[in-house]
Amino acid sequence: MNNEQLKIIAMNVWVYGLLLLLTIVGILLTPTVGFYFFLRYGWDTPRVIRHIIWLYGKGWLAIISPFVSFERQGLDDADVPDNCIFVINHLSFFDTYFMGALPQSDITFAVRSWPFKMFWYRLFMQLANYLEVEDSSWQQTLIKGNSVLKQGGAVLFFPEGHRSRSGKIQRFYSGAFHLALQSGCPVVPLCITGTDQLLPPDRRSLRPATVMLKILPVVEVKDYQHEGGHRQLRKDVKAMMVKELEQMLAGDSEGR
Amino acid sequence: MTEQQMITIINDALVEEFELDADEMQPELSIYDDLGLDSLDTVDMVIVLEGAFKFKIREEAEIKEIRTLGDIHEFVKRKLAAEVN
Repeated sequence: MNNEQLKIIAMNVWVYGLLLLLTIVGILLTPTVGFYFFLRYGWDTPRVIRHIIWLYGKGWLAIISPFVSFERQGLDDADVPDNCIFVINHLSFFDTYFMGALPQSDITFAVRSWPFKMFWYRLFMQLANYLEVEDSSWQQTLIKGNSVLKQGGAVLFFPEGHRSRSGKIQRFYSGAFHLALQSGCPVVPLCITGTDQLLPPDRRSLRPATVMLKILPVVEVKDYQHEGGHRQLRKDVKAMMVKELEQMLAGDSEGR
Repeated sequence: MTEQQMITIINDALVEEFELDADEMQPELSIYDDLGLDSLDTVDMVIVLEGAFKFKIREEAEIKEIRTLGDIHEFVKRKLAAEVN
């Protein structure tokens, strides 16, 4: 067994072991910590749970730090609007965990039904009022999304719908862009690279990786408020992300 | 316009709008299960077809019955024939 194989074994024992510990401790502490946030900030249950999930993401970033080089680029914290729609490319199960690096914690994820099948996360996702886009009608999803945005939070979509198995960005679905135009909230594109090296679809073993998350410039929607504007918004945002991902990947390969 | 030209216009418009694989545009394919369209995409599909054929179909009840690519071909064929008559 060579050093590289030993490192991979150590990484998997370390990351999965500590993630399990973080999850158990998180579940046990949530009632107490949640009550503290309720008293301290007056947040309702979904807001409290979303903050706890964000802290869990920060825990993830700490756990992986010995094996994963992670960097956040792009907009500074102050330039990222609290009330917006994030759209991000999707490469790995662990993409969502890196959202702990975003500046705000009030983020409602729009997810397919399979993540709700993970019993240890299900209750948290339900309490956080996550949008279940697969088994709900789009009308219901847009109503719930609008409600989140009216309360000042953000909604995060994976507009590709599922993880890319080729690493290339796939077609975008329109839900996020309909919601942006209905709500008037800006779109903030996010580009992530490297999580497909960490854990691509169809593999359970983690590998060391360099992960980059870039927050692209905010896209205001006022110029898209016309018939079919969501289609143009979808195309423009995707074009921005494709261009940025190409540059990020080119930079990444130059750095190797 | 021949039927084949009409089918080509429909397929090309859908391929461009929904980033589909042009080689896989077979009439028997379900627009939902095989082509991966969702309910919001069908709204866009109507806009795309209206743009391609310069007709108005968004109020047509038949749109809701469309399940396959072939259904779209037949629907547009009937619509164009009705406009000529």
